Amino acid sequence: MNIRLDNLTVNFDDRFQLDQINWQLDDTQHWVITGANGSGKSALAAVLAGAGDNLSGTIEGLPARVGLVSFEAQAELIERERKKDDADIMDVISEGTPVHEILSEGGRNPALVSQLVEMFKLESLLNRSFRKLSTGESRKVILIRALASEPELLVLDEPFDGLDAHTLEMLQQYLATLVETVPMVLVLNRFDEFPDFVTHIAYVDHGRLAYQIDRNDKRAYNELYQLLHLKTTDLEVPAADPETAIPRLDPAQPLVKLNSINITYDGHRIIDSLDWTIERNQHWQLSGPNGSGKTGLLSLITGDHPQCYVNDIFVFGFQRGKGESIWQIKQFIGYVSTALQWEYKVGTGLRNVIISGFYDSIGLYTKATDRQKKIADEWLALLGMSDRADTPFNKLSYGDQRLLLIARAMVKHPPLLILDEPCLGLDDMNRQLVLALIEKICAASETSVLYVNHHAEDKIKGIENYLKLEKREPAAS
Amino acid sequence: MSNNYFNTLPLREQLEQLGKCRFMSIDEFSDGVEALKGKKMVVIGCGAQGLAQGMNLRDSGCDVSYALREAAIAEKRQSWKNASENGFVVGTYEELIPTADVVLNLTPDKQHTSVVNAIMPLMKQGACLSYSHGFNIVEEGMKIREDLTVIMVAPKCPGSEVRNEYVRGFGVPTLIAVHEDNDPKGEGLALAKAYAAGTGGHKAGVLMSSFIAEVKSDLMGEQTILCGMLQTGSLLCFDKMVEEGIDPGYASKLIQYGWETITEALKYGGVTNMLDRLSNPAKIKAFDLSEELKQIMRPLYNKHQDDIIDGTFSRTMMEDWANDDKNLLGWRAETAETAFEKTPAGDVEISEQEYFDNGILMVAMVKAGVELAFETMTAAGIIADSAYYESLHETPLIANTIARKKLYEMNATISDTAEYGCYLYNHACLPLLADFMKDIKTDVIGKGLDLEDTGVDNARLIEVNTALRSHPVEAIGAVLRGHMADMKKIV
Repeated sequence: MNIRLDNLTVNFDDRFQLDQINWQLDDTQHWVITGANGSGKSALAAVLAGAGDNLSGTIEGLPARVGLVSFEAQAELIERERKKDDADIMDVISEGTPVHEILSEGGRNPALVSQLVEMFKLESLLNRSFRKLSTGESRKVILIRALASEPELLVLDEPFDGLDAHTLEMLQQYLATLVETVPMVLVLNRFDEFPDFVTHIAYVDHGRLAYQIDRNDKRAYNELYQLLHLKTTDLEVPAADPETAIPRLDPAQPLVKLNSINITYDGHRIIDSLDWTIERNQHWQLSGPNGSGKTGLLSLITGDHPQCYVNDIFVFGFQRGKGESIWQIKQFIGYVSTALQWEYKVGTGLRNVIISGFYDSIGLYTKATDRQKKIADEWLALLGMSDRADTPFNKLSYGDQRLLLIARAMVKHPPLLILDEPCLGLDDMNRQLVLALIEKICAASETSVLYVNHHAEDKIKGIENYLKLEKREPAAS
Repeated sequence: MSNNYFNTLPLREQLEQLGKCRFMSIDEFSDGVEALKGKKMVVIGCGAQGLAQGMNLRDSGCDVSYALREAAIAEKRQSWKNASENGFVVGTYEELIPTADVVLNLTPDKQHTSVVNAIMPLMKQGACLSYSHGFNIVEEGMKIREDLTVIMVAPKCPGSEVRNEYVRGFGVPTLIAVHEDNDPKGEGLALAKAYAAGTGGHKAGVLMSSFIAEVKSDLMGEQTILCGMLQTGSLLCFDKMVEEGIDPGYASKLIQYGWETITEALKYGGVTNMLDRLSNPAKIKAFDLSEELKQIMRPLYNKHQDDIIDGTFSRTMMEDWANDDKNLLGWRAETAETAFEKTPAGDVEISEQEYFDNGILMVAMVKAGVELAFETMTAAGIIADSAYYESLHETPLIANTIARKKLYEMNATISDTAEYGCYLYNHACLPLLADFMKDIKTDVIGKGLDLEDTGVDNARLIEVNTALRSHPVEAIGAVLRGHMADMKKIV
């Protein structure tokens, strides 16, 4: 068996569409299809059982006998049985088809059916009407039908859902005995349910097959785990720490008000007479070519630029240069940038890196409270990094470091979160990870986001204000 | 010519001042920069140290500006650029000094007398004059107007690190002192503490010392173990390796980066840990070599300490200052001509452990230098805490400079006083170790011990380990590293 999908676009009753799928499966492979809810993973599985209308592209090599288990298949059978019930017009009570008949349909191997009935402990239900089974019981019937059909390909969409622990273990063991004879495609949502025999993972996102990963590629596997985790977790963005709460700001004042700002290097003016006000609850996107002064402008706000003392800058209730300290300013800001990541060269554990966000420090120089540790652990859980709380930060992959620095920036729930090209230097999957985290943050907090980027495709929902800087050429001398 | 202030004091007071050094608790800094609020701070000198301190203080909410000589402003010299491009108000002495509540003298030692003489008449009644090094007061006997408060705040790191650590939300270890003859309002300590807090030093640990203890221990440390020993060791080890047929590129690299690697172990766990990085037979070998070295070099360390205590050193150095630095510049040029300096590090891979295994003599030299400097300082009345900082603690900093810049640049980077002392030491130490070096072979420098069997005698190993661990520099080191660890390596 060698199934090949080339640029395949499939429509499902105009409800959903899979776009330009390129995928090859051979009979030595066992795949898991995964993705967020509504991403199209069930649709992709169903395509292997012949579902959907091909709009373009080709699919070749589909075997004749595909054993399919899915909620749709289950619903279809239940619907069929419901239609058989003529009680309303015939005035006879319909018993419906008994389970043993459902199981023997299509000339399935009777010995195998009996064996499976025993394994699923369905003996006592054989004479019961299929219609009268509970959801879990009917799911077992569907599983037996598929497994006993001597399929050339098994497509199991969330086969473990709704099964009790005992049955689940039995089924997993049984599937493991089939790996040599039947290639399998499973749709699963949870990494901890991936059976050991699975060799490849397909990640579906918005109707596209976004990533295909060999399970032996540990790094990609871990990244995919995190991405799926962030997209599907019920965990919320952890709350701020009430003990180290940021002082309340006057709600009537803007967060930032820059008046006729200038930045000059070596006599060359990079920013010229710029006015900019960031009101509370506004999200901004700042863009501009390299050298247009984006980072300089940001560092005027964060207090990292020495020329913040020669400009008219009002930030978080402070007119700059009147005896405030930069730590009084920084407490209101969460900040993430590539430069910060370069600076953050510490062997500190991940938990401490997150806690350092409470103190705006690189490294942690203050003893953390128990509550801060707990909050940091909640963030690690959200990021899917709970098992790495004490791993040194500099041992993380580049993308994971970025995620962690975003958590560090947000841990105190600052009024302003500055993301200076947060996706810079990241591959596509890590970019997805970062954006997934940022969206989660934007949705869950009252933080104003100031987002700086080059990539037009890295859009963040909810940003409605834009500032574009132009590069100023040096004046001819 | 000047009058040595230290020599004017009675012995009782000399000893009391030498013995001052206390590690302060962070609780003593809970007022932050409060004592400096509303005060005008004017920095003189805008090199790396001056700029870094000024930027930190400003970012801590202090009012900082820079006073430069008229010529520096008119010619737009680097110091003027440093200050003005960073958004500071810059003015002449005449413009800014009369407005200052605190004047921070961050010029090189050599200029102190002329700078202080120029600004003192301009300073307002009851203002404060701050130093980062006490040489001018202690060795040159500068008399400061009686109404002025005189303090010292000395971050124990180069300017770039003073700034970087602050930006990280931390600081660098800092020494503070009040010149008791000039504390008319009794506010010296409060100002020094606020100043240290403004530079972030309080987060990394502050030592309360005296002008005298700072000068006498600082001079001793820098000219013997820190710069002198590493310079002399570099030259001797390199020449020996080349003489024994080791590839010069390898030899150059082993030395240039070796000091840094082995003193990293020193920084974390003292002399004990540095020697523990060696195999047992190599450790015993290094111990024996260092005992021999200590015996040969002890008179030299004593002489350096004696010359520092009685003022001979500063007097001869100031004579050279007056003579247009003839000696200093001549010696600096000689350094540039040494074989080690002229041989670039080879493109060879040396693992971290190999620096220890093939550098047994270097380990022995560091151990001998640290212990001798510490023993000599404490014998002269300097308290163990100061002696630790000025010997063991700072050795990795200089080793790091050598790793980056080799000897010539190392000497150009350190202070003039350190460089002058370094050459004095080097010129005396090279001939002193000539005989010793004759018996040295590549087993202790360049190739490592060639042993089939790494077994050692139990009794001898125990003896060596006990000697290592019971040296007084290890006892105080454990305590002080503990304090530092509490503050720094919570990370």
